Amino acid sequence: MTAPPTVPREIALAAKPSLGQRLGQLIEPLTLLLPSGVWLVLFLVIPTLLIAEISLVPGLRPGDVPGAYGLGNYLQIFQPVYLRVLFRSLNFALGTTGLCLIVGFPVAYWIALMAPKRWRTLLLVVFILPLWTSSLLRAYAWITILRSSGLLNVVLQAVGIPGQNILNSPAAVYVGMTYSFLPYMVLILYSSLEKLDIRLLEAAADLGANPAQRFWQVTVPQTLPGIAAGGLLVFITSLGDFVVPTLLGGASSMTIARLIYNQFLGPTRNWGFGSSMSMLLILAVSLAIALLIRYGDRNPENYS
Amino acid sequence: MPRNRSLYSPYSRRLATSRRRFLQGGAAALAGMALSNCRQGGVSDVQAPDTETGNGNGGEGGGGSDTLHIYTWADYVDEELTAAFTAETGIQVVTDIYDSNETMLARLQAGGGSAYSIIYPSDYMVEEMIELDLLTTLDQDRVEGLDTMLDQWVSPAYDPDNVHSVPFSWGTTGLLFNRELVSGDPEDWDYLWDNQQALNRRFTLLDDVRETMGAVLKSLGYSYNATDPDELEEAFERLMELRPAIAAFRSFGWEDELLGGDLDLVMSYSVDAIAATLEDPAFEYVIPLSGSSVWTDTLVIPETAPNVDAAYEWINFNLDANVAAQTVERLFFATPNSEALDLIDDDLLANEDLFPPDEILARCEGIAPVGPEASALYDRYWTEVTSA
Repeated sequence: MTAPPTVPREIALAAKPSLGQRLGQLIEPLTLLLPSGVWLVLFLVIPTLLIAEISLVPGLRPGDVPGAYGLGNYLQIFQPVYLRVLFRSLNFALGTTGLCLIVGFPVAYWIALMAPKRWRTLLLVVFILPLWTSSLLRAYAWITILRSSGLLNVVLQAVGIPGQNILNSPAAVYVGMTYSFLPYMVLILYSSLEKLDIRLLEAAADLGANPAQRFWQVTVPQTLPGIAAGGLLVFITSLGDFVVPTLLGGASSMTIARLIYNQFLGPTRNWGFGSSMSMLLILAVSLAIALLIRYGDRNPENYS
Repeated sequence: MPRNRSLYSPYSRRLATSRRRFLQGGAAALAGMALSNCRQGGVSDVQAPDTETGNGNGGEGGGGSDTLHIYTWADYVDEELTAAFTAETGIQVVTDIYDSNETMLARLQAGGGSAYSIIYPSDYMVEEMIELDLLTTLDQDRVEGLDTMLDQWVSPAYDPDNVHSVPFSWGTTGLLFNRELVSGDPEDWDYLWDNQQALNRRFTLLDDVRETMGAVLKSLGYSYNATDPDELEEAFERLMELRPAIAAFRSFGWEDELLGGDLDLVMSYSVDAIAATLEDPAFEYVIPLSGSSVWTDTLVIPETAPNVDAAYEWINFNLDANVAAQTVERLFFATPNSEALDLIDDDLLANEDLFPPDEILARCEGIAPVGPEASALYDRYWTEVTSA
């Protein structure tokens, strides 16, 4: 839990006698940290605590006189219908992560190791370029591609494959989310692959390892932190994604983010339940971030 | 303005009796600050950061603010209308739009609606908002033209004697389909079940629990406002049968896919449907035989309205027969204004999609609140249907 920024100062002041110099040393960083600290407390810590509090009032609706505290909202999540939604959200997030890895790794590998050096920056910029447009626009673009009279089917039919009705199905969600989050994956894998120690690959080749062995036993272990970091980043963002499932998934893709939306802006208006699901999502994402910090940030040399 | 705080008063009361210290004192004060900032539109992106609207809260027009903020449905207020209003009164109009009554209510209840002086809730939502004390009682002396209302809207069930709301428009809910793509003749809700294979993932239903559940209830011969748990369960099961074939639950945004031929049929409000039928003769709108809903959208002044004077100006402007008639001709909703009817173009007046014959209307019902118990059932079934 992040403590308000004033606390460490008080502790520090109590612990150390007020030497002018030490005070000066303390005041300077604290002054610099104060704006962001206040910002975080006001707009992150307190809202999160408020959500936590609302989540503990079972079935709280706006305008209601709140009842007693209880865990009803959290127990409600275990109803089959909501578990199904949770499971689906996890599936979407894990599937997207897997797809991003499969598609992103070769791309990052190629840019980092095989493309001409002077092209690398340009290639990366080109890859990140789509991120400059709104995710909503990119989802709309996929609607025009995936719909039955869309670009995909025009192309498929031109080569003699029967048209597919992909829009408004889970497949469309995988496609849309993979497209949305691929740049993150490529970017992180690139920075990891860029540091790859080529000498180790040469040594492995000298010692008789075939390409597959070299890849799995030298390249992959060295880039594992990048894979973990990229995977977790994609997982986190896709778990909470609202736009793609809503626009591309149709009636078949209720996810936890959409369910939370329904509790606040939809017909159900159950703030208590919505808050408990939000807390669950915050918890899941925090866990993923904790894993990211633990495993994603390691020095690659530890693996070599 | 005690009403002004009605939203948060239960919440503050809870904080006051709370045993949890960490949320008391400073944190609560800060939270209150943060929340009141929200109320003034500081956080919301849609509201203009117009300080006048924020602190003019509830005052009779406040400090001479000459901007009127309106919260309305998409396609309800066009530029021609606002321009004419500004030309006549000198008041600038800023409109924000919502796509469902629930979204509008949620925004209001979260404190994000304090900039608005005019809102356009539907019938059943008016009833709910009255119960939540969100609406001002209209000063009947300041409303000119209520006497032009057709009989049905002189004292509507959702707001007897129009104490809190002014009927603005009405219409129906039905099926809009592409004549070239559907087989047979969609005449009733049953068509969806009978042609489930052919329509597989080529139709959408409204993303609205009461409309969609109501339609299924009607197809079973029950009321749109059924409260009997057995009837609701039967409707739920029937909707689940259809569910795999439903492309999406969508109230808006189906236009491109329908016009592009990716959808065969959509359940839609008459307003949107008529626009499509007039644009392309391949599209037809039908009010299902077993009955449907007939809805009324109204003009109300929320309790928190910062510019009440301008709100009355807006109401009176829209009650003017000429203005009402022209709006109908541009935006395709039926008007409850009897004088306006005489001014509307005959072709449009003869359009049965817009002004259905009485025998069809007789089979339609207005959506009414169903009480907390049935409401909870509706919500539960709707969650099941949309989450399955």
